[in-house]
Amino acid sequence: MPSVRDLRDRIRSLKNTQQITKAMKQVAAAKIRRAEMAQKQARPYADTLSDMLRDLMASAGSVDHPFMKAGRAGAPSGVILMTADKGLAGAFNSNVIRAGEIYRRDHADAVFYSVGVKARNAVRRFGQGDHPAWVLNAPSKITAAREVAHRVTDDFVSGKIGDITLISSKFVSMMSQRPETRRLVPVTAADMASKPAETGAPRGAVEFAPSAEAVLSRLLPKYLEFTIFSAMLETDAAFYAAQLLAMNNATDNAGKLIDELTIQMNNARQAAITKELLEIVGGAEALSGA
Amino acid sequence: MPATIPFKLITPTKVVFEGDADLVIAVTTEGEEGILAHHAPFLSALRPGVLRANIVENGAARRLELATSDGFMQALPDGVTVLVDDALAFEDVDVAATRAELSEATERHKSAADPMAAAREQAIIDFANAKLRLTGHH
Repeated sequence: MPSVRDLRDRIRSLKNTQQITKAMKQVAAAKIRRAEMAQKQARPYADTLSDMLRDLMASAGSVDHPFMKAGRAGAPSGVILMTADKGLAGAFNSNVIRAGEIYRRDHADAVFYSVGVKARNAVRRFGQGDHPAWVLNAPSKITAAREVAHRVTDDFVSGKIGDITLISSKFVSMMSQRPETRRLVPVTAADMASKPAETGAPRGAVEFAPSAEAVLSRLLPKYLEFTIFSAMLETDAAFYAAQLLAMNNATDNAGKLIDELTIQMNNARQAAITKELLEIVGGAEALSGA
Repeated sequence: MPATIPFKLITPTKVVFEGDADLVIAVTTEGEEGILAHHAPFLSALRPGVLRANIVENGAARRLELATSDGFMQALPDGVTVLVDDALAFEDVDVAATRAELSEATERHKSAADPMAAAREQAIIDFANAKLRLTGHH
């Protein structure tokens, strides 16, 4: 049985741990509010962009744009693997990385691009030491998203990769985040038509300058940039939600352990006192009996 | 007083302006386009340039001038919406940084490998020029 002193030391160190996890939980709670705010601020743009796309697709149908055509036959898949930069968020990053591994099982020659430090490390473990990598927590996420989009679309257009897939985290709720694998390019008309309609019915005849096809071919790259940008915002929010949950559990667990150890310590102390008393009483009896 | 139209200017990170305007002028790929109330519905691509609008707030008119990157403008019966990556007011433009941006993009434009990359650099050059024009440094 551990001594009272050992137990006291363990309790003290657990209390320190609990303080740290509690602080991290509070930080995550504050950051998640900011991340959700950023997502909310991006929504008007997202809604307008998808409205415009819907109007365009309604009149243009399909256009002669490289993003709408299949890539070079036989070219490997391009995959953007997106995680957070930091850990301590439960299985958040490893779930996304596992989704990447599963994708890699079916597409052994897949070319990886990574966003987030954890994704970069995972891709290095995949054996692609030198690959295009970005951090999630860039000073300007929109600039980073644009760079990612440019790099992958350049590689797609030049035939280095045959399609573009994004694996990132979906913010289902505060309690649940799950990895999501999405095909970004080639873009199909169905992808964009499936966007939720905000204003409902089509808005009548629209004139396009110079033409629906020309506007659409400018909108497609923007759509891609914005999709990557909003995935980055979503990963950010999902990460803090996962971290909040992980730190909450860690704090609770530390609390439970502290309670258990405190009882053990009290028992041990009581046992020591009892033992001492017995020794004294035993000693006194031995003396008086003599 | 002329009729006004609801006008919205949106970037990926925020709604830059939302209110009423009686005139919105933006640089489309086809040239400058002015939108008044009751304009026929249309959707157009924008080039980087200086966007101007006559804003009407509480009955008083005000001029809005912003350097905008490339984007899109849609006029509908219920309002005009401009969607751009970036929209900067006079006081938000850092002239020295913009000049540096301009010369870097010009260098990259010269060595651009394919038309898509060249078009991207051109957009950066045009936006930088628009920012300088807005601040009167062009």
